[in-house]
Amino acid sequence: MMDELDLLKKDWQQREEALPRLSFDQLHRMIWKRSSSLVRWIFYISIIEFIVPHLLYLVPSFRNGNGYDVARDLGIQTELIVVTVIQYAVVLYFIVQFYMRYREISVLEDASRLMDRIIRTRRTVKHYVIFCLSMILVIFGVFIAGMYFSDNLVGALHLHPDADQDPVQLKWLVMGIMAVLAILFTALMGGIYFLLYGLLTRRLYANYKELKRLDH
Amino acid sequence: MKKELEHQFVSLLESNQNIVHKVCSLYTNNPEAHNDLFQEIAIQLWKAYPKFRGDSKFSTWMYRVALNTAITLYRRSKKQPKTQDFDTVVYRIRAEQYDPTEERQLKLMYDAIRELGDIDKALVFLYLEDKGYSEISETLGITEVNARVKMNRIKTKLRTILNP
Repeated sequence: MMDELDLLKKDWQQREEALPRLSFDQLHRMIWKRSSSLVRWIFYISIIEFIVPHLLYLVPSFRNGNGYDVARDLGIQTELIVVTVIQYAVVLYFIVQFYMRYREISVLEDASRLMDRIIRTRRTVKHYVIFCLSMILVIFGVFIAGMYFSDNLVGALHLHPDADQDPVQLKWLVMGIMAVLAILFTALMGGIYFLLYGLLTRRLYANYKELKRLDH
Repeated sequence: MKKELEHQFVSLLESNQNIVHKVCSLYTNNPEAHNDLFQEIAIQLWKAYPKFRGDSKFSTWMYRVALNTAITLYRRSKKQPKTQDFDTVVYRIRAEQYDPTEERQLKLMYDAIRELGDIDKALVFLYLEDKGYSEISETLGITEVNARVKMNRIKTKLRTILNP
């Protein structure tokens, strides 16, 4: 009796005539279409992620000022400059890393290594995002610390409190609002990021795990 | 120069397009998705073509790029309907020498293969294409022994479906 799988193999190899057939022109048109591969998507989203935090500085109130005026009045200008310099150095490092990882991705590798490289590229972006989120918290933290040590919080923030408002109470209230804002903002940015990449690479991860499972 | 390369590539793709169609028929289940995946594979092949040195056969080289695209790079754009309205391509009705038992067995096996995960499908595909275990292991990046073990498990599974 013929093995069922040989039967399948024979049928598989015979059914070529039933396959669709594209003409030279159809194929020619096809190769110039834009790729919508996972890697391209990761590339685009990453570029957006590298740019977005910096777009904030294009908003006039961020550029000339309020932030820095407040920082000066709170006496934390030096701290803020140090943090900013470190931030840009690290961002630059991440961009170089990302570009190198991205260039390493080649469709000619075996499937396991290709997935490895994509995941490493994605991981670089993930570290970058975690870094950015931490920086947001650090900067908020510097502001909150500045407020805590400030003698003239009302003047620095241009507040107009009611006359009977207790200054100590007001200070804690403002610091509390800042802390809540910091956490909300970080959670929002983090949520968007992890949702985006989670959805994008879910299938890749499943296949990657399957391959790794096979090899252990 | 570029034009020449382009012409050469499209000719090669035209004569070897069956490989790509077969990968698409395994990994998609409607004509629209089939074309979508086919296009992505064609783009990836063309992008990688300058690195094709001709030290392997063009078709061998195609298997790797096509499978990598299907299991790693391809993003399914829309939710694919679960119903298999694409059976006409995957499952050939052979009018001549029609054997109902054989036909039923084949249908069951093709259905079972469609239910497999992406990686298992790749293994079955290379097996059906008569590729050796060394090529299967090199394409997927797993050891030959493990490729063999996994393939045997899939075979057993398919046999169980036919003889419950």
